Amino acid sequence: MPNFLQLALAIAQGAALLLLAPIVSGFCRVLRAKIHTRTGPPLLQDYRDILKLLKRQEVVPKGAGLIFRAMPFILMATLLLVAMSLPVLTFASPLSAIGNLFTFVYLLALVRFFFSLSGIDSGSSFAGIGASRETTMGALMEPVILLALFVAALLAGSTNLGQISASFGSLSGGLIAAEIAVMAAVAFAVFVEMGKVPYDMAEAEQELQEGPLTEYSGPGLALLKWSISLKQVVMATLLIGVFLPYGAAATPTVATLLWAALAFLIKLAVVFVVVALIENSSARNRFFMASRATWAGFGIATLALVFYLVGL
Amino acid sequence: MPLTLFALSIALYVAGALASLVLPERAASRMTAVSGALGGVAGFAAALPVLLDGEPVTATLAGPFPFAHFIVRLDPLSALMVLTISLVSAAVAVFGAAYVEEEYASRGIGAMGFFMNLFIASMLLVVVCDNAMWFIVFFEAMSLTSYFLVVFEQDDEAVSAGWLYFLIAHAGAILVLIAFLLLFAVTGSLDFAAFRGAALPAPLATVVFLLAFFGFGAKAGMVPLHIWLPRAHPAAPSHASALLSGVMIKIGVFGIIKVSIDLLGATTVWWGVLVLVFGAVSSVLGVVWALAEHDIKRLLAYHSVENIGIILMGVGIGMIGIAAGQPALAALGLVAGLYHLLNHAVFKSLLFLGAGSVITRIQSKDMGRMGGLLHVMPWTALAFLIGALGICAVPPLNGFVSEWFTYQSLFLAALHGSSLLRLLAPLSAVMLGIASALAVMCFVKAFGVTFSGEPRSAPAAAATEVGWPMLSGMGLLAACCVAFGVGAPVIAPLMRDVATSLTGHRIEVASGLVVFPGDAGIGVLSTPLMAVLLLGLAFVPLVIVGLYAGRRPRPRIGAEVWACGYAPDAGMSVSASGFAEPIKVLFRPLYGVRSWTDARLEATRPWFAAIPAGAAWTEQLWDRWLLAPLGRGVQIAGERMQVLQGGDFRIYCLYIVAALIVLLAAAVG
Repeated sequence: MPNFLQLALAIAQGAALLLLAPIVSGFCRVLRAKIHTRTGPPLLQDYRDILKLLKRQEVVPKGAGLIFRAMPFILMATLLLVAMSLPVLTFASPLSAIGNLFTFVYLLALVRFFFSLSGIDSGSSFAGIGASRETTMGALMEPVILLALFVAALLAGSTNLGQISASFGSLSGGLIAAEIAVMAAVAFAVFVEMGKVPYDMAEAEQELQEGPLTEYSGPGLALLKWSISLKQVVMATLLIGVFLPYGAAATPTVATLLWAALAFLIKLAVVFVVVALIENSSARNRFFMASRATWAGFGIATLALVFYLVGL
Repeated sequence: MPLTLFALSIALYVAGALASLVLPERAASRMTAVSGALGGVAGFAAALPVLLDGEPVTATLAGPFPFAHFIVRLDPLSALMVLTISLVSAAVAVFGAAYVEEEYASRGIGAMGFFMNLFIASMLLVVVCDNAMWFIVFFEAMSLTSYFLVVFEQDDEAVSAGWLYFLIAHAGAILVLIAFLLLFAVTGSLDFAAFRGAALPAPLATVVFLLAFFGFGAKAGMVPLHIWLPRAHPAAPSHASALLSGVMIKIGVFGIIKVSIDLLGATTVWWGVLVLVFGAVSSVLGVVWALAEHDIKRLLAYHSVENIGIILMGVGIGMIGIAAGQPALAALGLVAGLYHLLNHAVFKSLLFLGAGSVITRIQSKDMGRMGGLLHVMPWTALAFLIGALGICAVPPLNGFVSEWFTYQSLFLAALHGSSLLRLLAPLSAVMLGIASALAVMCFVKAFGVTFSGEPRSAPAAAATEVGWPMLSGMGLLAACCVAFGVGAPVIAPLMRDVATSLTGHRIEVASGLVVFPGDAGIGVLSTPLMAVLLLGLAFVPLVIVGLYAGRRPRPRIGAEVWACGYAPDAGMSVSASGFAEPIKVLFRPLYGVRSWTDARLEATRPWFAAIPAGAAWTEQLWDRWLLAPLGRGVQIAGERMQVLQGGDFRIYCLYIVAALIVLLAAAVG
């Protein structure tokens, strides 16, 4: 069980990631505009959007039930729990009793369950198709992320994300090929889970009116937009905190934590610049084409397992 | 004391069975409920002390047969089974009283109560008797009583499903019987105690294991012996389905554990590998097929195939651990398998009871006729949702904890196992991952299409909530789903004790509020912490939304959904088959989807640009490759044998004379 200091760190990093999320999505919009050579919105536009939506009336479709109303709250609470359990500034998860790889994958399944169910609950046909796609992508991506993290855990000898982070951060030069393949597979899975073009299958704005988001409005939509940004930040944090933990604090003092925070922010910016480059240089894809890419991702993860088995 | 309580439990079930046969209908259903609930409590009270102590209790009764004493042995493993059966039976009994009165009034409630009670009693006796002959007797009694529950509806589907069930159950029982006879031939005794100490030559032990594995595997419903399961379980009344899927198939798993670990000592590594591989394949194929269903009970039945697979994965790892001399791994695998066995019993019975409640209102098992029930049946919906979250392994509910243990045992196997295991264990983990991701999809569909959106039929629009006896039956199981998940630090040590009794090695699995797989360095999990934090964190969005609550107009409820300007109707929302379509396309080879030409379609094709045609159900690979040839083979053999039955009276006399001569010759010779 966590002690007081760990709990404080967990709450601090959860709050920080939550507050950071709209800036990150604003940053992505700015980058997108720059790549389009547009002026684009200001960096803090997403805060303004959220605040404005919070003041708007909520419109609930007549078939919608409790699931539809409760989903934004469940989504944000679960993602906050994930955010609190990842190693961010140190080589250990502040909540090690939650921060292990299987719990991480299944908390994302909790998110997916309610996100998709709300789509059917709204009664909208677009939201229903979005729900179907969301769960299909889950079925395609879960093996990739699970196998990649499993091999990472085998390399570290523990399923705790903190220990995996310490093992990847130590640069001890273990099985280099396996480590690189794991990182590639995780990076791919992280990108797909962010739901950006060309993998914005469930929330496809142009073809499905943003899928499960179709019928949301007002405060519910505000929470959802915020939670989706938080999910993107959380996925990036998985990559940064567990697989690229360079600069994280080995012994937590004020100075090392501040350095670690700075390093984290720089890495986060770099990750989202790369994400923006990929997102804006690719075209939308047909839904059934997505499985080809996910099989490729699974291939990379399998390669990592093979490298691990032969000791490369 | 535990055995007295156990005898009391059996007596209550038998009394309930006899009473419901002679009493008038209404009294019979009440009597069944009371005796079932009390029997459940007595069975629970009998099992719990044994489970806590870890000491087996035995009693020998002189039976009518000199060669087979009736020996009762309540050891930790059978205590766990008794506890599971009693828990589910009590909930089913409370549910069943109101359910049968509503659904089966004047359609033979008395007979149903008779078979239900005897079915439960025979399951309880199977798991405690310690003698091969009595084991087979009760095993057959269990199959026979449940057969009458399967064919209860008396329609074509039920009778044909019952026939298939009858055949496969007995084929399985015959394999088990041969296995026991082989052991008898070596030891000269039918007591399990003698089997335990027998020094079998390795090839014979392997034959016994294979016979028992496939014999009990047919009962458990593992792929490829599952073909009866998705037909028999939906055909039975829903509360009987809850017992069939929730408890009876676990007897198959119990048999596999009993023979291969308890009796044979799991001496060979590849036995465990075989169990692991069959488990992994069952888990994925079960859920893949479940997705294609739009009959809610068939969908649930296929999920039983999946979950039996998950249980077998844990059991397989346990057997590998014992054979390879890694007791910590063995204990962990068994903890995972047994924990999932208990959990699946709870949530699958809950889901079947929920489906049964819905079916009483809709009078159809087709999910396409449901919808919108969340508004009119809120408590049933909540219970079904908890069961669905449990089976999808959503944290912090019970399914998650046992799958977490399964993953940890696979991880430990991959970390310290032989080179074969280092490859197999990660791949099995991936199979488990695919299975649970697809389970999420399947239950989003099952819950969504059944309870969410707008009503899709007139009965769905007019439905009302079921009465309190049915709700309390479901409520008990739903509470168990939450308790076995959040209370993992209490439940896991109990499973550990059962595993210790099987492996002789004790691992640590819990301390304080966390559970861990033997070694806290491998991974820790705290479901209580998770539950508290999730509830606490839900206040963050509540506060955010509350910020501007005063400046916001009140919500407008009851708006039309957006349908691009057209008038929306319930038919536009996603259907059960439409929801699963992507998976049917992506996993096409696993479904055996065929395209065929229809003469009428071909003839009209010139006049239409495109004629969509689709099958309403998917045909299983096994039906086409295994069942259909088997059926044809039996039919052809039967036709050949008809020659004997020529219809000529004189030929028959000749047969009798020939038979007499042969028998005489045998007697003289």
